Amino acid sequence: MRRRSFIKYASLAAAGNIAGLKPFGALNALAAGATDYKALVCVFLYGGNDANNMIVPFDNTGYATYQSIRGPLALGKTAPTGNNASDGYIQQIQSIPGFGLHSGLSDIATLINSDVAAPVVNVGNLTQPLTRTQYLANQLGSVPSNLFSHPDQQVEWQNAAASGATTTGWAGRISDAINGTYNGSATIPMVTSVAGDTLFCNGVRTTPVSVSPGNLGGASCSEGAECSARLAAAQSLITLSSGISLVTADDNITSNAYAYAATLTAATKSATALKTTFPANNGLAAQLQQIAQIINVRAALGVKRQIFFCGIGNFDTHSNQLVLQANLLGQIGPALAAFYQSTTEMGIANQVTAFTMSDFARTFQPNSNSGTDHAWGSHHFVIGGAVKGGAMYGAYPTLALGGPDDSGSNGRWVPSIGSVQYASTLAQWFGVPQNQLATVFPTITNFNTTDLGFI
Amino acid sequence: MIPSSLLCRKLCILFSSAAMLLSIGCGGAGSTPGTVTAPIQAAITVTVAGPTTTQIGSTSQFTATVTNTTNTAVTWQVDGVTGGNTTAGTISSSGLYTAPLTLPSTTSVSISAVSQASPTVSGTVSDTLFGASMMTAARLLDQTSFGPTADAIQHVQSVGVSGYLTEQFAQPATLLAAIPTSPLPALCLANNTAYPCAESEWWQTAITGSDQLRQRVAFALSEMFVVSTQSIPGQAIPSYHNALATDAFSNFSTIMKDVTLSPAMGGYLNMLNSAKPTGSQIANENYSRELMQLFTLGLDALNQDGSVQLDGNGVPIPAYTQTQVQAFARAYTGWTLANTAGGAVTKFPNNSGDYSDPMVAVESKHDTTSKTLLDGTVLPGGQTAEQDLQAALTNIFNNSNVGPFVCTQLIQHLVTSAPSPAYISRVSAVFANNGNGTRGDMKAVITAILTDQEARAGDTNAEYNGGHLREPVLFITAMMRALGFTNTDGNGSYFSLSGQSAKLSEEPYRANSVFNFFPPNYVIPDSNLNAPEFDIENTATSVLQLSLADAIVNNKIGSFTVDLSNTSAMGKLAANPANLVDTLSMLFMHSQMPDTMRSTIINAITPLTSNAQRARVAIYLVITSSQYKIIH
Repeated sequence: MRRRSFIKYASLAAAGNIAGLKPFGALNALAAGATDYKALVCVFLYGGNDANNMIVPFDNTGYATYQSIRGPLALGKTAPTGNNASDGYIQQIQSIPGFGLHSGLSDIATLINSDVAAPVVNVGNLTQPLTRTQYLANQLGSVPSNLFSHPDQQVEWQNAAASGATTTGWAGRISDAINGTYNGSATIPMVTSVAGDTLFCNGVRTTPVSVSPGNLGGASCSEGAECSARLAAAQSLITLSSGISLVTADDNITSNAYAYAATLTAATKSATALKTTFPANNGLAAQLQQIAQIINVRAALGVKRQIFFCGIGNFDTHSNQLVLQANLLGQIGPALAAFYQSTTEMGIANQVTAFTMSDFARTFQPNSNSGTDHAWGSHHFVIGGAVKGGAMYGAYPTLALGGPDDSGSNGRWVPSIGSVQYASTLAQWFGVPQNQLATVFPTITNFNTTDLGFI
Repeated sequence: MIPSSLLCRKLCILFSSAAMLLSIGCGGAGSTPGTVTAPIQAAITVTVAGPTTTQIGSTSQFTATVTNTTNTAVTWQVDGVTGGNTTAGTISSSGLYTAPLTLPSTTSVSISAVSQASPTVSGTVSDTLFGASMMTAARLLDQTSFGPTADAIQHVQSVGVSGYLTEQFAQPATLLAAIPTSPLPALCLANNTAYPCAESEWWQTAITGSDQLRQRVAFALSEMFVVSTQSIPGQAIPSYHNALATDAFSNFSTIMKDVTLSPAMGGYLNMLNSAKPTGSQIANENYSRELMQLFTLGLDALNQDGSVQLDGNGVPIPAYTQTQVQAFARAYTGWTLANTAGGAVTKFPNNSGDYSDPMVAVESKHDTTSKTLLDGTVLPGGQTAEQDLQAALTNIFNNSNVGPFVCTQLIQHLVTSAPSPAYISRVSAVFANNGNGTRGDMKAVITAILTDQEARAGDTNAEYNGGHLREPVLFITAMMRALGFTNTDGNGSYFSLSGQSAKLSEEPYRANSVFNFFPPNYVIPDSNLNAPEFDIENTATSVLQLSLADAIVNNKIGSFTVDLSNTSAMGKLAANPANLVDTLSMLFMHSQMPDTMRSTIINAITPLTSNAQRARVAIYLVITSSQYKIIH
């Protein structure tokens, strides 16, 4: 850990953000975590997060423009009261004073101000750089397929905008490329999902281990002394050949399930529990806590590189947006802060980078139902000790309906950064060598920059 | 393959006529029984051979052997009627018996061959009619119910596929009870929210309802027209589910209309309280987009076999445009909740809390500008909310994508994950026209899906490559039904089952998003297998399902009990391991358990000394096997 990170950590602790861990404990953990290890943690915001209300111009002119177009959905600069108390508001980011962050993410603002987090703005699915003019000229070959459709845009974020259907995601392809280099003695796959199966995790030669938060162990058995015989018979049934393709596919999954459950059970059996307190009644926090616990036993699992996937849903705020989004962001902020804290506890804050993805942003123009509709370019966060935090990356869109960044007339921003560039920046930090970059990200060659410099 | 208990084509029973005891016709009028002493010629005999059982609607070939005469011609009769009739079945001059299409009140018929040389001499055999084979009956129940039971299998065997479908089409819907807002019923009061009541009602109906096919189709529809109590009140579910169940055998256009106006869908995808946009706003696009993308058309223009239409550059042709999404969005404006009596209101938005009645229009909130819809159809300006809505739904319903898009998903939910293009084509054709010129006839569509050769191929070929993963909800209902679990909850609540299925990523009417628990186009990683349900099976849920199976066989499912003790039916069967496993094969695997699996399980349980444990372990091994989990 760099000295700068230690100071950041110490200042967080001083601010009361870290429970039960003294600085010397952190130093010890730091020494123990000095081996070669890196993890990427994807937090997927399902449904299309309205980033337009997440990062908002805070200067008077910018804010006034925002307020005039956003109308009833415009957040205030001070905490609302009365009936609107749950709506959230905008808080200025100290280290990026021209912008404010949604109050639900005040913990993220703290991390930005501690230089361990950064916003990356107007990122979205692109197959090549694109302008409003080119888009409106209907240059179909250069536009991602099925814009504004949830499943398609989720898939395109996860496969890094290889427009159209593919069977692999970019975490899976990273594993295909470098699992052998780093994880030669690993007992589980490079990719772990704590939020079910997603395209992101699948490669040509890679399928993820899935974990249900809080259920790391194997299957229960109530047959006493006969349990081992029952297990043996069940495992023998898996090996019987079948002419039914789906039976074979199910056998494969079940077979992996037995193996991974045994591995994870053994690895976690004697592990020291993490002291970091994760927020209760917070599904994302439970997933991130599970990820932290797995990272904590990385040595026993023999992994030097891991990619994790977790997610939180219900961002599809076509109505009643203010309350719904404030509630969701209010879960994300504390969950990610606790996760960052757990990486400092393990002494590997510089080696773990979390980042957000989401289907798309939402129309800057509100609809008649106190909500917003499906759009395109969006804003995201990268968090971790390796992040060159405290600054904003990318060009914030011009907030004008039909303006230079609008793909139409409702504030659906044409991204200025491709999701593939965002991914490739993370991948290079993670260890994907230059000569494999185009294999992992086939469309990256269409862009001038493969590294956005935020990490 | 027809089971040996019902049919034995190889071992044919020869039923000889009474001719041996009689001596007829040679000597003329003077002959009387028992008095003939020196026949000039040996007596004519007629012997009939053929199958002992015949499936309704199918044929059996009978043969007659006539001896002691050169004229071996016979006349064939069914129940004494030459040529038979439509009730008992008909028989040709060459002995080809065609069984009736439905079972007669007496299921045994006699097939006789009468000597033409000597009309008083005949041979007769008895033929037992049956509706369907064991395999057909049990497989059909896996496709059309919430799980086979021994009784149900026997019943379908007797009445046959079409007989069963006819019966089920006639079953009225079991209706979920409305959930009062205050006070909440006891069984969801503890949670202080209504959705557990809705889910309890749903489970109970699925497991115990006699309208199994209707409920199973409604379940499929609920996974296509998705609403979720994660964002709408539980009170909205009963009326929504009841509409799907009631409409399951109606017309697809009726389903579209009832779904569209339901407060459940209105609340979920925001057509509820979507007002006409003012100058600075746009109309809410949520329902407009998803009704087309997810419920009726899909993203791309389709051929009738479900394949995507491509343009000259090989690029899929979109089914609709963003401009059309915005036009439909305006067409759907102006709807809010009815008053508590279901009547019209003037207030907008109206939050009466009435989630039982269809939404009502408030014209002042309806966008009356003209809208250009699919295929260039224009809704003229000035129409009412109802006129625009009906015209918009009709515009979508008549789009040629609806048949292949909807039928593919119904097939995936009921029969197989990856139907062939030909199968989709055959069903789409019925969707387009039921034979009487009607489009969207659900009864005809469901019949076409279930009776298609591709749906029935597995009846006679256990290795036919198809089927789909038994999703968690169907796994649990199948256990409850087949093993005979009974409810022991003080309030009669079935909600504990939701806790079991939720661990496996599925809870009735509580999906994470409008994209259902799993998407129809999911492809298993590292394969080219389209298998929607596999989206929620992974190495984590796989382990959890093993634990659930352990709880099931050990009677550890809260609010329910099952008897698998030494003295239970299963326990008694376990005295003979082979008998037990064969019964489980019938109950769970259409009597199609592979021999290797059968012997593995028999070998595993034979050393156990407790019959109850033999039963538990055998059931566990069957229900956790991939052969069982894949309904095929």
